[in-house]
Amino acid sequence: MLARLVLGVVLVVAGALKVTTPAVSAMAVRAYQLLPYDVAGVVGVALPVVEIAAGLLLVLGLLTRPAAVVGGLLMLAFLVGIISAWARGLTIDCGCFGGGGTIAAAQTHYLSETLRDIGLALCATWLVVRPRTAFSLDRRLF
Amino acid sequence: MTSGSTSRKDKARAAAPRQGANRAVIGAVVAVLVIVGVVVAVLLGSGGAATPGGSATTESSALPAGATGPGGGIVVNPGKARAGAPTLDLYEDFQCPICGQLEKLFGPQIRSMAAAGEVKLVTHTMSFLDDNLKNDSSLRAAGAAACAADAGRFGQYHDAVFAGQPAKEGQGYTDAQLQTFATQAGITGSALTTWQQCVKSGQHTAYAQAVQTQSEKDGVFATPTLKLNGTVLDLQKLTPDYLTAQVKAATK
Repeated sequence: MLARLVLGVVLVVAGALKVTTPAVSAMAVRAYQLLPYDVAGVVGVALPVVEIAAGLLLVLGLLTRPAAVVGGLLMLAFLVGIISAWARGLTIDCGCFGGGGTIAAAQTHYLSETLRDIGLALCATWLVVRPRTAFSLDRRLF
Repeated sequence: MTSGSTSRKDKARAAAPRQGANRAVIGAVVAVLVIVGVVVAVLLGSGGAATPGGSATTESSALPAGATGPGGGIVVNPGKARAGAPTLDLYEDFQCPICGQLEKLFGPQIRSMAAAGEVKLVTHTMSFLDDNLKNDSSLRAAGAAACAADAGRFGQYHDAVFAGQPAKEGQGYTDAQLQTFATQAGITGSALTTWQQCVKSGQHTAYAQAVQTQSEKDGVFATPTLKLNGTVLDLQKLTPDYLTAQVKAATK
């Protein structure tokens, strides 16, 4: 249940902070310089919605396994993005909770961002393996 | 007793498929909701960005004077740069406080290098802070500066805006302020009338948006960014001597 709430709350918060500023979010995705300009724009705008949806499902404990799969894939994608930016020597803000873009080299937090997303990915994996948790709608309904 | 146990079994048997169906129904509903949410977000997101430029694009596709291309910066010192002088690209957002700092600290030096032809100074007026600050001042100021370029006063206008930058980020610029900057830049008489019409009709709004897009495509995601012959200068190391040395090293 802890894994579910941690991953769910983080996803909802991260999504909510970005969903009202789609242009900022789009630019944050572009700053990774991984996707073509227009594709990055769509990802930047759509991502917060998916985060909120998966996060809400996890908090409610509804469709826990599929939601955890989505959450886990998101974390995997974020890890690829952050580590590749790190490896390429880019100095960007991950834009995880809004913001984003290029920042000074001394201001980057690649290590802590990587560790945080690994932790969340582990939460997701745990939930995929054992989706039945206490105080969940899944348990009540099914 | 027996009837009770059979009815319980019946119930379990009846409930089993229904559970599966319920789960599928909920899953489908959630999936549809998410897809609708994504589509709405994408439409709103791209629509919001496209509207301000939509009318301007049809009105005029003409570039402001001194622009290096459809989304390129504006040459501040056209025809001044000596042979072999490097290009100094300056990416700024008129609402960016650190750009204001940079202008205060290095503006005079950059201006004198440009005037002496030691560099070809190209300024890119970005406008992404509008999204962060939820106003449209960066884009309006960028459009107004492009109109000043048509009057041959881009550099002066640019300097006037940064000199008049609000103390608090996000206060933005009123139309009256943008006009004051024009007079401060030395745009007067009929040139001022032309400038006013240019700003009012949003003649260079599409250009200003294109600068933002092109800058991102060129890998600039923050302001201020300085590029010397295409190489980003480390702002942490930036001192007047460092800048002079870098420019000297890049001169052929």
